Amino acid sequence: MTGVIDRARELDEEYGIFNALAESDDSMGGGRLEGVAVSVKDNVCVMGMETRAGSRVLEGYRPPFDATVVKKCRGEGALILGKTTQDEFGFGTFNVNTPFKVPVNPHDRERSAGGSSGGAACLTSVADFPHLALAESTGGSISCPASFCGVVGLTPTYGRTSRWGLVDYANSLDKIGVMGKTVADAALLLSVISGPDEYDSTVSQAPPEDFTGYLGNGVEGLRVGVPREYFGEGVDPGVSEAVWGAVKGLEALGATVKELSLPHTGVSLASYYIIAMAEASTNLAKFSGLRYGLHLPLEGAFDEYFSRVRARGFSEEAKRRIILGTFTRMAGYRDAYYMKALRVRTRVIEDFKRAFAEVDILAAPTMPVVAPRFDEISAMEPIQHYMMDVLTVAPNLAGIPMISTPCGRVDGMPVGLHLMADHMEEGKLIRATHALEVSA
Amino acid sequence: MKAVIGLEVHVQLETESKLFCGCSTDSEGAEPNGNTCPICLGFPGAKPKVNRRAVEHAVKIARALDCEVQPRFYFSRKSYFYPDMPKNFQITQYEMPLALGGHLLLDDRRIGITRVHMEEDPARLVHVGGSISSSLYTLIDHNRSGVPLVEIVTEPDLTSSREARLFLRKLSLILEHLGAYDPGREGGLRVDANVSLEGGQRVEVKNITGFRAVEDALNYEIIRQESMADMGISVMRETRHYDAESNTTSTLRLKEQEEDYGYITEPDLVRIDVDEAWIARLESEMPELPDARIQRYVEESGVPRFQAGIMVNTGLDLSRFFEESIRLFPRPGVVANWIVTFLLKSLNYEGLSLRESKVNPETFVELLALIEEGTITERLARELIKEYVGTGESPRALVERRGLASAGRDELGEAIGEVLSDNRKAVADYRAGQTRALDYLLGQVLRRIRARGDPVEVKRLIREALDSE
Repeated sequence: MTGVIDRARELDEEYGIFNALAESDDSMGGGRLEGVAVSVKDNVCVMGMETRAGSRVLEGYRPPFDATVVKKCRGEGALILGKTTQDEFGFGTFNVNTPFKVPVNPHDRERSAGGSSGGAACLTSVADFPHLALAESTGGSISCPASFCGVVGLTPTYGRTSRWGLVDYANSLDKIGVMGKTVADAALLLSVISGPDEYDSTVSQAPPEDFTGYLGNGVEGLRVGVPREYFGEGVDPGVSEAVWGAVKGLEALGATVKELSLPHTGVSLASYYIIAMAEASTNLAKFSGLRYGLHLPLEGAFDEYFSRVRARGFSEEAKRRIILGTFTRMAGYRDAYYMKALRVRTRVIEDFKRAFAEVDILAAPTMPVVAPRFDEISAMEPIQHYMMDVLTVAPNLAGIPMISTPCGRVDGMPVGLHLMADHMEEGKLIRATHALEVSA
Repeated sequence: MKAVIGLEVHVQLETESKLFCGCSTDSEGAEPNGNTCPICLGFPGAKPKVNRRAVEHAVKIARALDCEVQPRFYFSRKSYFYPDMPKNFQITQYEMPLALGGHLLLDDRRIGITRVHMEEDPARLVHVGGSISSSLYTLIDHNRSGVPLVEIVTEPDLTSSREARLFLRKLSLILEHLGAYDPGREGGLRVDANVSLEGGQRVEVKNITGFRAVEDALNYEIIRQESMADMGISVMRETRHYDAESNTTSTLRLKEQEEDYGYITEPDLVRIDVDEAWIARLESEMPELPDARIQRYVEESGVPRFQAGIMVNTGLDLSRFFEESIRLFPRPGVVANWIVTFLLKSLNYEGLSLRESKVNPETFVELLALIEEGTITERLARELIKEYVGTGESPRALVERRGLASAGRDELGEAIGEVLSDNRKAVADYRAGQTRALDYLLGQVLRRIRARGDPVEVKRLIREALDSE
């Protein structure tokens, strides 16, 4: 598969996809992924391959181990192709928050591929060889770029896949998931990477499932809920229309549809960002130039050295999140922010649990808009960046599985349909999106 | 003014592997940073995993201190930047610790235990060429990173430095009985002490290693606070550093500079739900604790309480020594008396601990058997025990080698006969009523048998010989 690596290099030059690329084909073959190139988001460790999570502070870090998901792919015969571009540590929605390459949208080079798993989505869209992508979502980092690039992005239940080997953003939210051109592709890769792992205590003990078994099961009798709050202000009318079209399509295939309410949707964004930044600010503390990553000449006291490494190594968004995250957990503010955010998170989970007592899946737009242009993005304030995640953070906070699948176009750009299901119910998402895919 | 003292005691647990990874905790003689892995080095991508054995040790400690093990508990991240912490946060417990609300009895004094929780030890810093401030550079040894610690926090119930030392002795004894702690491990027990004078501000003295040092540090700090009060200066709330070499404390930081650790729950570890059956099993595995052991010595072996107390409180190895000795020589009263009165004194004189000495129960009871069978006198035995403690040589072999066995009846009879016939004047004096003459004759006989006999017995035999002459 050396040809694949050469081709990947060409695509990288055209679209800005890789932070590191395999030098040779070391795949073993002989499994469910024989002949398949698997790309890995930069924040997932590949033994011996520079793993920077999109950050300068990790320059030179070559992990001495494979992430569990990578190991499982190798075990199924895959070629580990390279490390795909992303926002630094996953801090972003447009994959522009990185000192390295910024991937462009395959449908319009002036537009963002989405983030933070931008390289993964972009490659999934443009690969003209058998390819699957390992991506990662904290608050929507699989769904968003999948939606913008018009591919399938599946974020599993929190605990369905092992995080061993993932460079942490916010550990209670991070989930390694998959992207593919088709639902079948996504179902296959998820089947390979899910299951218990002794190296990650937060992984569910549920035995691995073969998710490809759900393909072709149809949606007859499947109850689809449409949450009102997900079609409110800020959602592009064209996007709403395309998503409703897909919902009607499910109804036509035998599903039942009802509207319902998820009342805590409005506060989920604040809760998400507080928890994510609080955790991130502790995770990023370890990057101080002592044992791995960026090193600078040893001068002055240790804290001066740490400060120099961190000032040089982190870019602006990382610094912003470290400061905000540290603030929300400081004595005197901790109860008002961090602890309160945890309580809100429980409310958000309860919202979903109530909904799933009535319906099997929820349908909404993945992103309120189609991929914005880079000039639009640079005019946005940080808070406007964060607002873009308003539709994806609630299911990520709740740890429920979600899938984004293309459902039409607005201004020639793909629109994503977002389906969500209860914990461990990825099968229903696969059934529904596959039914739509084959009926299109 | 009364001192008010509370302690935070950190104990290194005797587990085989570290708290969150499989690395060995036994780093004696190990290459620096040899017992490490991506987890305890905090490599990006690595995740901790709780060592169940360490949790079980901690539960037993909590129960031995009569603490309530919480139905659920979790770990937290304590954030601060320091080169001894590879992640720049420490995984510890904060809001929901392992156990709350126990106590430890010091005779009839009840010292409250606020909480017991688990955490990981940071790396060891080696300051090369001087102290932390004067060294040329500092090396970091991560062999200690992730070694399981249990932190035991007391209520401010202690009232003197001596009481603090007694508390620590008792605590370490309990930990030793539980097999959770090795008193021989260097730095295995580290203490932060909070001390104030009644009505005054609280001062925290950080990182004191060893019982003696705790007493010294507290003494220094109490006197410092008293003299400040005498001079009308108010004590400031602060954290102080104890320097064992100069036996002084110095300001580390004032209250306003206190670190804000920004605790969050450790998101890589799941909450631990405790089920009753598990606690019950651990309780059933718990060994006899020191107070119960003392009671047993008193009730089953008839040892005086003060002797039982001394033996048990000296350490688990002495208790084991006593128990093995009475198995070999089943006269507990004699054994206890000899241990407490003579063995400990001799060890002390030699400056040895039981562990360091070559003494063992097999050879120790030989000494008692030699007395009992009349081979040597008790008085000689008291002399010999010093030599035995010093060299560890079997007392029986020693007596034989040096020909120290008491003179037999024949030898004694012969010696008495010779002395009486050689000293007729003294015999005459004795008969004339001069009792001092008998002492003279005794001295002569003892010299002839080279003191290998009980003077009282010898004196009786001389009198017998004189009366029958």
